[in-house]
Amino acid sequence: MSTLQLWGQYLPQFLAGLVVSLQLTGAALVLALALGTLLVLARTGRIRILAAIATGYVEVFRAVPVLVLLFTAYYSLAQLGLRLPGFWAGVVALGAFYGTLYGEDMRSGLQSVDPGQREAAVALGLSNGAVMRRVVLPQAFLAFLPPGTNELSNLIKDTSLVLTIGVTDLMFQANAAAAATFQPMDMFLLAGVVYFAFYILLSRILARWELNVQRRRS
Amino acid sequence: MHVVALYWQAIVDGGGVDLELTAIAVAVSVVVGILAAVGRIYGGKLLGGAITVYVEIIRGLPPILQLFIIYFGLSQFQINLSSFSAGLLWLVLYGVGYAVEIFRAGIEAVSVGQREAADALGLTRVQALRKIILPQAWMVMLPSLMTFLVLQVKNTTLLYLVGIADIMYQARLGTSATEQPAIMYGMAAIAYLIINLTLSRIGSTLERRQALYR
Amino acid sequence: MSSDVVVDIEGLTKRFGPRTVFEDISLQVQRSEVVAVIGPSGAGKSTFIRCINYLHPFDAGRIRVLDHELVGGGAPPSKATLRQIRMQVGMAFQTFNLFPHLTALGNVMLGPMETKRVPASDARDKAMALLTSVGLADRAEAYPRRLSGGEQQRVAICRALAMDPEVMLFDEPTSMLDPEMVGEVLGTIRGLAAQGMTLILVTHEMQFAKEVADTVVVMADGRVVEKGPARDVLEHPTSERSRTFLTRVLKPLETVEDGQEQGQHGGQESGPGATTALGGDHP
Ligand SMILES: Nc1ncnc2c1ncn2[C@@H]1O[C@H](COP(=O)(O)OP(=O)(O)OP(=O)(O)O)[C@@H](O)[C@H]1O
Ligand SMILES: [Mg+2]
Repeated sequence: MSTLQLWGQYLPQFLAGLVVSLQLTGAALVLALALGTLLVLARTGRIRILAAIATGYVEVFRAVPVLVLLFTAYYSLAQLGLRLPGFWAGVVALGAFYGTLYGEDMRSGLQSVDPGQREAAVALGLSNGAVMRRVVLPQAFLAFLPPGTNELSNLIKDTSLVLTIGVTDLMFQANAAAAATFQPMDMFLLAGVVYFAFYILLSRILARWELNVQRRRS
Repeated sequence: MHVVALYWQAIVDGGGVDLELTAIAVAVSVVVGILAAVGRIYGGKLLGGAITVYVEIIRGLPPILQLFIIYFGLSQFQINLSSFSAGLLWLVLYGVGYAVEIFRAGIEAVSVGQREAADALGLTRVQALRKIILPQAWMVMLPSLMTFLVLQVKNTTLLYLVGIADIMYQARLGTSATEQPAIMYGMAAIAYLIINLTLSRIGSTLERRQALYR
Repeated sequence: MSSDVVVDIEGLTKRFGPRTVFEDISLQVQRSEVVAVIGPSGAGKSTFIRCINYLHPFDAGRIRVLDHELVGGGAPPSKATLRQIRMQVGMAFQTFNLFPHLTALGNVMLGPMETKRVPASDARDKAMALLTSVGLADRAEAYPRRLSGGEQQRVAICRALAMDPEVMLFDEPTSMLDPEMVGEVLGTIRGLAAQGMTLILVTHEMQFAKEVADTVVVMADGRVVEKGPARDVLEHPTSERSRTFLTRVLKPLETVEDGQEQGQHGGQESGPGATTALGGDHP
């Protein structure tokens, strides 16, 4: 069969795989942002022991490859009695890792805000919450966006690791099709086209969004 | 506990394989990366554009897919690379894509004034690059180079998928023999922790040392 | 007299770690009084003025601001007290510190809306009126990045005024400005003084201090070395320390700034100090 015919035949399957990849991305992103927020709160907070734990967590989880985290979430936790379905093992592993990155991005976003800004808001009589909400966070968000969107496109690519534990994402579909057709290059190229098209689309959208946010404020 | 003793040596051997591959791949991609970065900055539209497209592809495709294209995909055209060469080739191709961007950013961070001063002295472009620009860019690039090194060590976890006997391969082998994934992947995690934390420690020491000369 | 003292500082002492920035400073400020704090760099002027709205906690002494009592050393005052003080005491900074993500108008509206729950439309009207009064009505929708330094500082002053403060603090409001913009900001401050606002300002503009301030305080070496009516202190300093300081800052003023000052805000100069050349009495 010609390559194009094959592509036509397998495209629906691949797109179904892409949907799984996106669900995985979405769930992992939510977990990562939540975890990142907690890590920042713990690291900048006053409770020493929490700050130390958070710092230790970041150091360790940043240094361990995602695949090891994935196998730990899928196999090791099962041995210890917590049997996660492949999809959720993926969410946990990716969320646990990307949480450290998002936490660091948020922290440097916060640090990038000039201390004079906080001071000026305090001098106006704003409450601590209002200082954060109205003055510090809007500025920190701007600094957070570029690394944050960069992290997101890495997260999407890293969802492909769940192939190894049998979650039927895009990469899994490509691998299955490669084995079934004996035309691995054709199938992996199709997967490449789908991933790349999505990557380009997403990075354009995010770049435009970033620009809009910046432009709205100048 | 004797499971640990029994399999630790295998994990260490796997770590040796990982480090060897990382070292070769990083060395090659640094050299090629500098050339490609120079090509991207000074090479005109065509060469610069080609390098940009290459970087985008490497950054746009999942690592696993890249590896599978090289190892399984090429076999469709009767190009059957050994596990080791396929793994190394991927690490190099991937590494070049990242190194280009690091060196480009580093070179561009050196001020125009420095470049003009080098020109005014009558240095050739290569001389200017070697004597003036790269020594200054080094400082800017050091953190991202260390991140790159750690990234490549992490990337070697994928190599077990094409049959290279790295840490993950040993851990999986051990798991199927002992049915103790918690211990096996725990050991793998510790091995990677040791390697990567050592690398980042070296990195921050270098940075501090460099900062002293500023 | 004491009933009209709006800021009453007694025995104020401030340390950063082991370092004492200043010790035992006392000052009383009457309603509608204009106090200029001058002194060499590092004397602790900024630190001092920031203690008044408790941006810096202090180690000993006490400050009464309007009806609020701040005491050094012990537990910090309650959040409610602090917010009250900060709502009643406005501040303008050397570096303006406008909020870059808000327009000029947004900057001025923020305080009343957040702290007093003033409806947006009312806050907007008031902010526009303030911006108009400093000649910036047409810049209301501009973001700080697009404003000149002088415009930024005037917006920052409006931002503080929007809270209807009873006292305004200025920390070197013109020292980051290009010379040609100093006049517009000083003009705004002069206007406030004319309206009877109580002002405490740290400044290096001696000419301005002499013209607008009622009282001049000279800080040096962690103490108040001289304090008194502006003209007396600036023209006939009695303490050795303030004499050396004043000759050092006024020397260049006599030769360079004098002519410039006249030209720059000639139109706005109306006080008696405007026509008097400075430093004529100095050796
Ligand atoms: N947050 C701080 N921590 C430690 N020391 C500080 C801090 N802020 C100020 N200082 C020190 O306190 C002293 C007084 O500083 P301050 O800024 O009040 O001086 P100043 O009179 O305003 O000087 P300038 O005219 O340069 O603004 C200086 O020696 C300064 O180094
Ligand atoms: Mg100061």
